[in-house]
Amino acid sequence: MKSHIYEFEPRDLARLISGPFVVLTLFAVAMHLGARTRFLPTPRPVLDTDRTILIHQAEASRTKSDAEVLLLGDSSCLMDISARRLGEQLGQPVLNLGTFSFLDLSAHATLLREFVRANPERPHTIVLLMHPEALRRVGSEEYYATALASFLAGTDPRPTTARGQVPWLLGADILKSRLLSRALPLPLGGAYGHVYGFNRNLEASLAAGRGSIVDPEPKSFSGFAEYRLSPTLERTSKAFRAAVPPNARLLVGMTPAPESFAGPRYPTQRAEMLRQWSQWLNADAALDQLPATLPDSSFVRTTHLNESAVAAYTDQLAAALKPQR
Amino acid sequence: MLFNSAVFLQFFAAFLLLYWLVRNSLAARNLLIVVASYLFYGWWAPERTPSLSESTNYALGLLWHCRFLGLLVATSLFDFLVGLGLAKLTTPRQRKLLVAASVAANLSVLGFFKYCNFFIQSVSTALDHLGLDVSLPTLNLVLPVGISFYTFQSMSYTIDVYRGQLAPTRRVTDFLAFVSFFPQLVAGPIERASHLLPQFQQTRVITRAMLEEGVWLILWGLFKKVVIADNCAPLVEIVYGNAAYTGPAVLLGTVAFALQIYCDFSGYSDIARGTARVLGFDIMWNFHIPYAATSPREFWRRWHISLSTWLRDYLYISLGGNRRGLGRTYLNLIVTMLLGGLWHGAAWNFVLWGLWHGAGLVAQRITGGSELRKTLRMLSWAGTMVFILYGWLLFRADSLTQVAAMTRALADFSFPPWTSSFALNLTVFSLPLVLMESWMTVARNQLVPLSLPTPVRSLLQGVMLVAIVIFWERKEVPFIYFQF
Repeated sequence: MKSHIYEFEPRDLARLISGPFVVLTLFAVAMHLGARTRFLPTPRPVLDTDRTILIHQAEASRTKSDAEVLLLGDSSCLMDISARRLGEQLGQPVLNLGTFSFLDLSAHATLLREFVRANPERPHTIVLLMHPEALRRVGSEEYYATALASFLAGTDPRPTTARGQVPWLLGADILKSRLLSRALPLPLGGAYGHVYGFNRNLEASLAAGRGSIVDPEPKSFSGFAEYRLSPTLERTSKAFRAAVPPNARLLVGMTPAPESFAGPRYPTQRAEMLRQWSQWLNADAALDQLPATLPDSSFVRTTHLNESAVAAYTDQLAAALKPQR
Repeated sequence: MLFNSAVFLQFFAAFLLLYWLVRNSLAARNLLIVVASYLFYGWWAPERTPSLSESTNYALGLLWHCRFLGLLVATSLFDFLVGLGLAKLTTPRQRKLLVAASVAANLSVLGFFKYCNFFIQSVSTALDHLGLDVSLPTLNLVLPVGISFYTFQSMSYTIDVYRGQLAPTRRVTDFLAFVSFFPQLVAGPIERASHLLPQFQQTRVITRAMLEEGVWLILWGLFKKVVIADNCAPLVEIVYGNAAYTGPAVLLGTVAFALQIYCDFSGYSDIARGTARVLGFDIMWNFHIPYAATSPREFWRRWHISLSTWLRDYLYISLGGNRRGLGRTYLNLIVTMLLGGLWHGAAWNFVLWGLWHGAGLVAQRITGGSELRKTLRMLSWAGTMVFILYGWLLFRADSLTQVAAMTRALADFSFPPWTSSFALNLTVFSLPLVLMESWMTVARNQLVPLSLPTPVRSLLQGVMLVAIVIFWERKEVPFIYFQF
């Protein structure tokens, strides 16, 4: 007995399938052509929490600013300091360009160069703040470094995986990063979604906080309290120093670690690390008055403070900066 | 295997080629369907464990596959043998005993995997409330994917054979293919043996019209899942994953969930039907524009039709339906809907959801809502939507505590700062659905896009394909109903 009979011609099937694929091909060609001829706006891939923060800070670095004091560093700089409060304490405008520990000092140097290019008369003081955990990292994560470099260059980052090539070739990534990200607010995942809602709200919070935000995602203390300076830090520190304009002072500090997590010997170790790092940076001063540790209750995770601790720590930073002005 | 995965595209392409090769043998076709369906089902595996080697992960994956595949095969073979037994037995008492044993066995397997821990935890909580500190052990069970669907489908066979509505099949591959038919195996529609089983025993004719319908349904189903449902999911999470609520937030979040669950589940059903059409099979429509319903009863005629008719035919009618007086009818409605709620999952919010809908159906019977519906159609629709939306709140909430908190929050009219962003997303993603379903409603035809001239239809399908490509996540998002 026959199983099944096909009552259509192969050309019927070809016509049925080819129609939608022709549209898809035309779309892909239009997207790539639009990107190449610069008919489409430049990419602004604020398509998740990390890239929303990164792109916001990169844009802020290229914008005219009144900031006299510029904060640069990893996510502990971004989330442990309130730039607005610090500005009020110092009586000078402060801008926070802190990003992530996924980026090394060369990336922070890039942001600094962008800022100086957009604001040649500013800043007077540059404060580089990193968490000890970030100092042991060997280099930037390729994904984030590429995202930053591509954004600053106004190009679409090419996907690194074979699977990522398909949406890129079909023009989906181009549409998302150049048009959709501008047209439609993107809901954020996890705790960022619960607290900030959408990428636009997170950007508004960053703008309102002059580049600072509060970490909304408590996590139990994890990782190793094995703090050390990465072997690549000397090289990247020198690269960072080279980006500092001659009329600006460079101050360097290390953000606090939880008391019980870091251990009793850490403050001594921190002093030595800070001295060495400051020397590599050829910094004008090391902010060694800042506490090496804070009580565990001040933290939402090993690297980030909670909201009330941010205020207190910002005040401590202001006190440390005042004599340096 | 997920319909919205690259591996399914490869699987289906290979399957279509093999399907063409076996076109001259019915037995070979059914065997191919069984083997392919088991591969489709067995592809589902837990996350790989990074600490284990690739080979260990592979071996564990195989074991995992075999375990749940074994359950599917065992259930199918058991009900196949029950069918043969029912044909041999002559006395009503023996037949009744055998079908009762079959139903009990099927429900026991389902109950063990799905409700065991729920029962233990509920007893433990009850004892705790009574002041008895008894620590009852819970079992570390993983719910086999699709168990609720294929168990009900298999049970329908033995009950129909018992009722004399269907002759038992004597070919085991036909029956195995009926239970495991991959387009609808893991999330329905729950097919009736009397409708689907005979199709495995006949030569199927695949016409151009069937092909066009199949391709349309696959694309429209994928569009609903990938473009609408998966983009509503993070919106829902913003509200339901939060601990602080306000009335507008709860309302927006629940509307987003109503869209998400409908597009997720009906998208799956459309892809299932479309895939079956391409193979020459006909499986039932599972949805019929449910949010156009103007009463709870009409909603259940339009929502998850295969489950609601299953519950009606095998549970509500078996309980006596509306033949034993008004009071008993109301009780039967409540019991049927409560068990329908529990079918979705072992949690009190599903019980509450079932009760809510049961109460709605009873209220409609008491008030004779049909006359009111005719005169005040828009008002009836709005009232029904409020009723259904609150039902979704009960369904989606993680706990009864959250239900209470969200219900209280409905009285708080403050708008969250993200309201406009939320509303914009909701509008953008619901618009294609609203336009399409309005067109279908006016035309009274769910396949009305097929009446478009070929170039226009190709353009529409092309636009849908582009949207699917744009929103196709690199990490596939499973269908909601896989967990049931």
